[in-house]
Amino acid sequence: MQSETLRYLGSRLVTTVLIVFGAMLLLFTLSSIVPGDPATALLGSQATPELSRQFIREMGLDQPLPIRLWRFFSNVLQGNLGTDVVTGRSVASMVVASIPYTIALTFSAIGLAVLLGIPMGIFAATHRGTLLDNILAFVSVSFFAIPGFVVAIFLLLIFAIWLDWLPVLGTSRAGDLGDELKRMILPTVALALSWIGFIARLVRTSMLEVMGENFIRTSRAYGLSERLITYKYALKNACIPTITILGLGIGRLLGGAVLIEIVFARPGLGRLIYGAISDRNYPVVQGAVLVIVVIFVLVNLMVDLSYSFIDPRIRHNSSGKGAAG
Amino acid sequence: MTKRVSRRDFLAAGAGIAGTSAMSLPLAAYAQATGGPRNNIVVRVDREFASLDPAFRRGPPEGNVMRSVFQHLMVPKANSVDHELEAAAEVKQVSPTTISFRLKPGQMFSDGFGEMTSDDVKFSFERIGLPPKDGGKVATYKADWIGLVGVEAKSKYEGLITLEKPRANIFDVVIADGSGCIVSRKAVEQRGDSFGTKPVGSGPYMVAEYDRQKGIVLRRNPGYAGGKKPRFDEISIRTITDDKTTELALRAGEVDFALLSPSAADPLRGVPGLTVTDQPSMAYVWLGMNMEKAPLSDLRVRHAIRLALDVDQMLLAGYNGKAPRLNTVVPPQVMGAWKEAPVYKRNVAEARSLMAAAGVKDLKVKLTVQNQQVYQNMALVAQALLAEIGITVQVDAQPAGTYFESGKGDVGKNLDLYISKFSGKHDPNFVLQWFMPKQIGEWNWSRFNSPEFEALYNTASSELDPAKRRLQIIDLQKLMDKSSAYVWLTNEASAIVTRSWLKPAAIPGWIDWQYSDFSAI
Repeated sequence: MQSETLRYLGSRLVTTVLIVFGAMLLLFTLSSIVPGDPATALLGSQATPELSRQFIREMGLDQPLPIRLWRFFSNVLQGNLGTDVVTGRSVASMVVASIPYTIALTFSAIGLAVLLGIPMGIFAATHRGTLLDNILAFVSVSFFAIPGFVVAIFLLLIFAIWLDWLPVLGTSRAGDLGDELKRMILPTVALALSWIGFIARLVRTSMLEVMGENFIRTSRAYGLSERLITYKYALKNACIPTITILGLGIGRLLGGAVLIEIVFARPGLGRLIYGAISDRNYPVVQGAVLVIVVIFVLVNLMVDLSYSFIDPRIRHNSSGKGAAG
Repeated sequence: MTKRVSRRDFLAAGAGIAGTSAMSLPLAAYAQATGGPRNNIVVRVDREFASLDPAFRRGPPEGNVMRSVFQHLMVPKANSVDHELEAAAEVKQVSPTTISFRLKPGQMFSDGFGEMTSDDVKFSFERIGLPPKDGGKVATYKADWIGLVGVEAKSKYEGLITLEKPRANIFDVVIADGSGCIVSRKAVEQRGDSFGTKPVGSGPYMVAEYDRQKGIVLRRNPGYAGGKKPRFDEISIRTITDDKTTELALRAGEVDFALLSPSAADPLRGVPGLTVTDQPSMAYVWLGMNMEKAPLSDLRVRHAIRLALDVDQMLLAGYNGKAPRLNTVVPPQVMGAWKEAPVYKRNVAEARSLMAAAGVKDLKVKLTVQNQQVYQNMALVAQALLAEIGITVQVDAQPAGTYFESGKGDVGKNLDLYISKFSGKHDPNFVLQWFMPKQIGEWNWSRFNSPEFEALYNTASSELDPAKRRLQIIDLQKLMDKSSAYVWLTNEASAIVTRSWLKPAAIPGWIDWQYSDFSAI
């Protein structure tokens, strides 16, 4: 069993490396075809031909694509993500400065979405067809349909301006953890809202599907309580698609919370990449995207591995012993 | 002993993590007191900070911080373009090409980097103005110190700056500005690239916190030996890119000072505790034509376009009528502005006859603009107005990264019409430098190739007599007017939004803020 797991893990790690390489190859190719001189974008009227040449050289853009890729990966293997040509700072230090904000926001949003979305989904599934189910469907779809930045503005208007309960700016001075947590409430809610709706719908659908399966009928036939069947057997099985979606969601939010970060003036990886792309600051884009790709792939690897804990049939299936997956 | 993780354990742990993540958000109510004057203020900037090293700064946001962190030999007085001495006890124009200075003793650099000497001044100016040694990096603002021969440290406190030829704007745009910041040689050599995030100066404030995305916190420098007495112990400069967030932060009392466009500031007019003041900016915005591309190479066609456009209508669409009209390139508050510049009125009949005389009909041109609402709105009005004289305009709205390439190199040869904006300074030569022939292929997108302009520009830049220089600057604007390649639109306006008790300070033009001169009313 252990060797099977290790083999599975090994093959997934190889896939992970290939995905990271593929993503970076795509990024480098895109960087080389995007129009616009980086020096002009970065320096505006100060971009003299002399400075432009210097910037192009420092970014390595004067080299052919394969050499740039080779240099990038050999530097990465030595722990060097590159240097920001504007500040002279290492890209790694910029990523390290941004990533705690992104991780805190992503995980608190996903945590909130799980905490509210799963009970909503269970409730809707166990009260199928009732007025409350319809109300929850309406609320869930509304949450899911409204873009996060629109929610963000409304939350600010209501809670920061009208009620004056919470601050507008989404981050505090360094070292003030209490204030930082307070300032995370609105960005978290703005980011989580669509996920709450999505998870609620997903859990409801999965629950209804599982509740119709043979083993649930058998459990009822054995006289197990409805509560036990719902929460112990049905929910556990219904969780699998939710966990898959959460894995993808975490990856997406790591780099994709940029609008929320802008609206709440909050640091983060998304904003770092967005600013660097606007400025054609390629070393920063490449380093930060690499980190996101690696985290994304690792999170999904963990999600895949977690299936086997939740549903033994998946473990058996992956080892080639049949059963459903 | 090993313990296997059961499915139940795993699910319980997962639920625990999710719960903890969400429960970590406290539900405590929050109230932000705005109150009266405080000892700390929060200032908004609209973009992230780059390097705080004067040699590698990126633009005004960094320059504004540096003005409070580093000393110069001399600086503009608060809210003025007149200069006063700062680190220097004396600055003297010894000859048209030499300037001597004598430092005040006891100007101490922060973080224990010792006393400022003339060698620090030499190091600070030469590292920007002279070619880098040992393959080092070229300073971003090298052009500021163009014509610098060198700085000689005569004694501990005395030195001599030597230029190749006289420069009329050496004090305004160099010595008293960003490229005149005096850094500690020892600190720069010791800190290397990290000097850009941990700068060492001798000014009224020190950089207490630097976060590229969040912003910068300036704290009063206890070792400051200069004459200014900053009113605030701490100035927090927050990066807030979004105007709406800035508006809400101002309302909530989380930001005390911000510069907004007049329309973005509209909702804040009349809000208790806030003051909104409109000020003309130092920027200049214009619609330009490529003089080298037929049929725009025909003066009659360019003149027809100028007469077919209605600047006031364009400004109404772009700025909601809140930006003053500009009739010449040099903004009114800058020395040498041509006050009698012609104010062109729309004349469709004359424009049509000029087009007919040039033998041009059914002309199709592209109008390249940056993809910001203000420029796109003005471009759409221009499109409608030019249609009336038989010109079909295709509006090409580009993102900044590609827009700024539109007029450069060989690509620039294909440009037709464009709307552009440059930031100015209180110096006419600075404003006019982009229209020199040598800037063709760089920033002279109209490809205005006038040897007469070039010669007169060079004369004006070396003219030390202000009265003569003023007339030369006006003549330069007349030459540009004669080309008909420019339709001047506006020098824009900015809305300064502050707490009512806060009195900001800036060099007129409202780009260069003097944070250390901010005070409470």
